[in-house]
Amino acid sequence: MASMARLTLLRQACSAAPTKRMASSIARSTINHASPLSRQPLQSAFVRDTLPGASRIATFHTTSRRPILPPLPQKVQGTLNDPTIVPDPSPAHGSYHWSFERLVSAGLVPLTIAPFAAGSLNPLMDATLCALLLVHSHVGFQSSIIDYFPVNRVPAVRSLLMWILRIATITVGVSLYEFETNDVGITEAIKRIWHA
Amino acid sequence: MATTRALARLAVRRTAVPAMWTRSFATVDPITKVGETINPSRPVVPESKTSTAKEPIPEKGSKIKTFHIYRWNPDEPTSKPRMQTYTLDLNKTGPMMLDALIRIKNEVDPTLTFRRSCREGICGSCAMNIDGVNTLACLCRIPTDTSKESRIYPLPHTYVVKDLVPDLTLFYKQYRSIKPYLQRNTPPPDGRENRQSKAERKKLDGLYECILCACCSTSCPSYWWNQEEYLGPAVLLQSYRWIADSRDEKTAERQDALNNTMSLYRCHTILNCSRTCPKGLNPALAIAEIKKSMAFT
Amino acid sequence: MSAQRVLHLTLRRATTPGLTKFAPAGRFMQQRLAATEHIPQSNAESILVKQRLQRPVSPHLSIYRPQITWYASSFHRITGLLLSGGLYIFGIAYLAAPVTGWHLETPSLVAAFGSLPFAAKVAAKMTMAFPFTFHSFNGVRHLVWDLGLGYATKTVIRTGWTVVGLSVLSSLYLALV
Repeated sequence: MASMARLTLLRQACSAAPTKRMASSIARSTINHASPLSRQPLQSAFVRDTLPGASRIATFHTTSRRPILPPLPQKVQGTLNDPTIVPDPSPAHGSYHWSFERLVSAGLVPLTIAPFAAGSLNPLMDATLCALLLVHSHVGFQSSIIDYFPVNRVPAVRSLLMWILRIATITVGVSLYEFETNDVGITEAIKRIWHA
Repeated sequence: MATTRALARLAVRRTAVPAMWTRSFATVDPITKVGETINPSRPVVPESKTSTAKEPIPEKGSKIKTFHIYRWNPDEPTSKPRMQTYTLDLNKTGPMMLDALIRIKNEVDPTLTFRRSCREGICGSCAMNIDGVNTLACLCRIPTDTSKESRIYPLPHTYVVKDLVPDLTLFYKQYRSIKPYLQRNTPPPDGRENRQSKAERKKLDGLYECILCACCSTSCPSYWWNQEEYLGPAVLLQSYRWIADSRDEKTAERQDALNNTMSLYRCHTILNCSRTCPKGLNPALAIAEIKKSMAFT
Repeated sequence: MSAQRVLHLTLRRATTPGLTKFAPAGRFMQQRLAATEHIPQSNAESILVKQRLQRPVSPHLSIYRPQITWYASSFHRITGLLLSGGLYIFGIAYLAAPVTGWHLETPSLVAAFGSLPFAAKVAAKMTMAFPFTFHSFNGVRHLVWDLGLGYATKTVIRTGWTVVGLSVLSSLYLALV
């Protein structure tokens, strides 16, 4: 009896060896068999467990859905009791940036209403509208890049996009200057196209 | 008598296959996968591809409600999360979602894992995504319309420890980073306690009640994308709770700690936080007050 | 030892996989058949780190209930990107026009747009006007929020739908003008 028992123990140890947290997994498989009343639904719930490994991994690999910015595997910096790192204060990217952006947006409100009210804008106001639109667009793009291309995830893509954005903004700035000086100006152009 | 009992047990134990042999069918060999990273955003197996666990003993006139619950077991690390369906008779279930979960765990499937403690909305343990909205399961009534199926997920965009249990380590570390305690250099004026006027105390109403259940932070899309650096509504609400406190003498330092691109200004006033708060607080307003107080400093 | 007891003992051992442990055959009994393994406390951290690497991320965008709050916000960003993207593309094309030979001066644009059929004109105006009006009205809403006003959930929902209604009506008006 004792030797038989030891054999069973050994076999159990062997079967349990692959999993470190075997207590819970074996407890689960035991519940499958040991509770006759809940057996039916539970067993069918874990039917998937008996699929061959290859097919399961295959379905995992052939999945075609690729999220745009998939989250990374979890890594925690420091121990559980350490606070997260507090960045150095930089008002130029923080409060000043925010206030500046709000002032630009607020300035755009009357400049957008004016063409509807007055029919058109004088060249100076038109130029101001262009400049504010450009700054507003730049800040908006910048904010989107910061949101969706985190510097610790994709540093190269982030700086590349930022440089593309800066070059594009300067180019568009030159272009709008050309448009304002050589053409009719942005509000007048839109007005003419609208009534074409 | 004892013999008959043993015999009966032998008869009841219909599955003669011991656990170790069924395990030999198991396809995922954890020891080869330990330490290997697996795509954290692997898709969830929909409930149409999993089975349904039914109400244990259905009766006549029962109000059967269907619950789809997110399941993931860390003992099978490579497996995809899946939606498991349970049906319960609402006549035998308490009124709240937490009652349903507890009943499932007690009577249908003991492997279902979730956090719960106070069952009255003060501990914040049972925060989860119920029918698409983050809330506390203990404060969320089960919709009595049995034609609609309820779906329960863990808090969105969190790392899942098991089933409905999210890992909130980062959340607590962020909370620690804002120094959520009174900071003073000078002793109280009367040498006994730091006094506040009624008006000063009133500023803390709507701030101190937060139970840190993380419902708001995990409802914020901005926090989904940038949770490593953005603090999120709950922690910012707590930050404002200390910024607004008249007894605290480190207001400027607290504001400086938030004055960068990521910590505070990833808030784009989406307002999911205020909409979802199970305690009816307004984290978005607190963040707006921080931004206002820092606007020209 | 009576024969009955021996039989009983044997049966009991045969039925319980947990060797000599006696477990009642309750409905939900849990048995731990596993032999435990000693793991020193110092390993806790490394085991936890390995476990973390395997955790899935719970679903988010796909399962969160569509609400005016975050739908309006994401739509605000999308419309902003569309409008600014249009401005940037036009600006760069305008600067490149002399080189590439495109005609992007106002008179030729007006002529090209004027030659379109009426329905196409309305559709083109609508696709321009709706993002513009939505982004403008919602932008005002955001500016009001930045003053610390209108944060009650009811107000937020009401102003959100007001913005949607206003922008639809005004863009329809603009498209048909």
